[in-house]
Amino acid sequence: MTKIEPSPDFRQGFGKIMLKKYFFLFFLLIFTVIAGISCNSSPKIYIQKLKNQHYRLMVSGRPYIVKGVCYNPIPIGSNHEYDWWGDPNKPWIADGKLMKEMGINTIRFYQAHEDPKEVKQVISDLYKLYGIRTLLGDWLGFWEYPCPFYGDKKFQDKVMQQVSEMVSLYREEPGVLGWILGNENNYSCLGHVNPWSSPEVDLEPDPQKQKLMRAKIYYSFVNEISKQIHKIDPNHPVGLGNGELVGLDSANKFCQDVDFVACIIYRGKTFGNLFKSLKATFDKPLLMAEFGADSYDAYLKKEDQNMQAFFLQSQWNQIYENLANNKIGAGNCIGGTVFEWTDEWWKHSPDNPEGWKEQDTESSWSNGSYYYDIRAAGNKNMNEEWFGLVALSPQLENGLNKRIPRKAYYVIREFWKNPVIKKTRTKKAR
Amino acid sequence: MKKLLAVLLALTFLVPVMAVAEDKAAGPKEFVIFSDKNAKDNHYIPSGWMGDYGDIKMNDQSADNPHGGTTSIQFVYSAKKSQTQGWAGVYWQNPANNWGNKKGGFDLTGMTKLTFWARGAKGGEIIQKVIVGGIKGTYPDSLVVEMGPIELTDAWKQYTVNLVGKDLSYVNGAFGWTTTADLNPNGATFYLDDIKFEFDPALKPEGKKQQAMPFYIYSDRSSIANHFIPSGWMGDYGDIKYDGSSKEDAYLGDTCIKIIYSGKATQGARWAGIFWQNPANNWGSVDAGFDLSLATKLTFWARGAVGGERIEEFKVGGIMGEFSDSDSATIGPVLLNKEWTQYTIDLKGKDASYVIGGFCWSTNVDNNPEGATFYLDEIKFE
Repeated sequence: MTKIEPSPDFRQGFGKIMLKKYFFLFFLLIFTVIAGISCNSSPKIYIQKLKNQHYRLMVSGRPYIVKGVCYNPIPIGSNHEYDWWGDPNKPWIADGKLMKEMGINTIRFYQAHEDPKEVKQVISDLYKLYGIRTLLGDWLGFWEYPCPFYGDKKFQDKVMQQVSEMVSLYREEPGVLGWILGNENNYSCLGHVNPWSSPEVDLEPDPQKQKLMRAKIYYSFVNEISKQIHKIDPNHPVGLGNGELVGLDSANKFCQDVDFVACIIYRGKTFGNLFKSLKATFDKPLLMAEFGADSYDAYLKKEDQNMQAFFLQSQWNQIYENLANNKIGAGNCIGGTVFEWTDEWWKHSPDNPEGWKEQDTESSWSNGSYYYDIRAAGNKNMNEEWFGLVALSPQLENGLNKRIPRKAYYVIREFWKNPVIKKTRTKKAR
Repeated sequence: MKKLLAVLLALTFLVPVMAVAEDKAAGPKEFVIFSDKNAKDNHYIPSGWMGDYGDIKMNDQSADNPHGGTTSIQFVYSAKKSQTQGWAGVYWQNPANNWGNKKGGFDLTGMTKLTFWARGAKGGEIIQKVIVGGIKGTYPDSLVVEMGPIELTDAWKQYTVNLVGKDLSYVNGAFGWTTTADLNPNGATFYLDDIKFEFDPALKPEGKKQQAMPFYIYSDRSSIANHFIPSGWMGDYGDIKYDGSSKEDAYLGDTCIKIIYSGKATQGARWAGIFWQNPANNWGSVDAGFDLSLATKLTFWARGAVGGERIEEFKVGGIMGEFSDSDSATIGPVLLNKEWTQYTIDLKGKDASYVIGGFCWSTNVDNNPEGATFYLDEIKFE
């Protein structure tokens, strides 16, 4: 047997090849690490600020307009305590199909349910079956009895822990779009709803200063929560739920770590100066997190689907006017979640089970912006049980109240297909 | 040749047809409300006496220096507040006394302005506003346009109300004037003549004029500079007493506004307030208001009768309706001092290009269980 020794030249050549190979592997390794790091440091869902100072939401590298709806599918005969998350008939499956057909890409929950399994199931079903993403919220203890003590450390810790748990539980769900903190909690700083105080606020005699002190406490706390969420979950943006623009001058000072503002606005056919005003007060992207119109004419005492469709189309038109890269708007809107998907028959009489079986036509509050029926008695023209894009029928279909899409459903569907506004964007938004 | 004949024949038919069409398009050039006593072309009757109607005397055949023809209409307003309203006025209606309860009026589509001539007996008399349309009821006017206030001179002067772009398809209340005892504390005698609608093809739509600063809401009771009407009484309106000509230690000038809030919750709302509106009672249903976009703030002076009265909110804008205010700004709660103190509502960054709700205050019984008496003065945009 002859052993063939490699020539010195061959050895030298082989050595070079090996060296190159190791270099290649080394660079491959470095590249992989860098790529990995950069992937981790660049969240998959984030807000992008453009050169023209406009904002847009980016999902998987593409601009994303939130075409959303608030969702709380309480069946006829039940009230808000009903656990629809655990409903064996899975209302979100039937609703998700209708939503997808309309063009809805996002759903908003005000608060996650106690059972994480059920919540994950809903988020996952909506995303996997229909591509609908979820904005998940937390009330931040707003409805706690006797009131939300935002100045109290124990209360803060409890809320902080609750939100952290929510984020940790659902951050890996592919369907999650982002987090919304609170809803109209800022009104509690004015003392309008769920008024609260603290020992230091009580020492201040000037009520205007008291208001500012409460705002500072509240928005600073939300800011801390937002920072905490970013630590736990760098992949999803955090929104500040806020009634109107009230208090946002304080948020500008104390709540800079939120990624967007999620406003609750009921201004009829126009949002007025809202978008520009926000830009001047608190320059953050705006999600219209709750807006809409009811479909009952309290003056003529009959359902008026045209009225609702008119207001909703006008509102969506303004949302589109103010999206990024549209010259005619402020460029700070990222979309909206309209209130709401289905009617809720319990709202007028939340404590009277008999009332949950009838769709009440008595108006509970007044808003002159919805001027069609403002001449109703006492100017009360807002009908809480009639805000649905789809009406509910007592007739059951697969165990659920039959959904009957209203005119607004079709009008907005058509608007989304072909929004008639001037646009300068080049990339097609999904 | 045949072709030429055919063209000539066609022209023979077409030219008269086109001439008729042109005539029709032109329509009448004017439509008279009042020209002279018993004139055949008078179309409306000055029958709608309003407010302190007992304070008004009318002579519709005054021969004292008429502007045109042989007569004008003389009004003597005594400002005696006969019906305790503090204001009075007259509408020209068709038919007489038609407050929208019967079908009448005229379709005046095509007219673009209303003109009238006016003079005061001495000069300095103030007409609070003139109004075209605005009568409501079952058969409401199709438009409402206001102009004013007008300070009259002792010589005849023509005034014009621009109606371009307005819906004149049903006009029952063709013309009206109102004035107040505050604006004319010693009464006023004035004359009107040659009131008519006209077609003026050169007239352009009246855009909202950017108002110069300062722009007063309240200066003094008889100031012509005042704008907006304190007409929007809210909540427990029965708890409010309003005196726009209080002489109790005004901050500036001879009068200030005195407000007594009883806190009795007369209507059960447990709160009350007043909005200063344009025009009166406009909750966003009328396209009106002012372009105050040059304003960077609204300032006013306030004091409490005893000090410590709590006003929940002072506000600019925020009326929402078909024609909403373009923005809103607030301050409050405010604890009033016993001494006059100036307050400022910051308007920087706000859009004041369309303001129908110029100013507002509101308070409640919870913070004023014994009620509150307070004073306001020198309310103005700057």
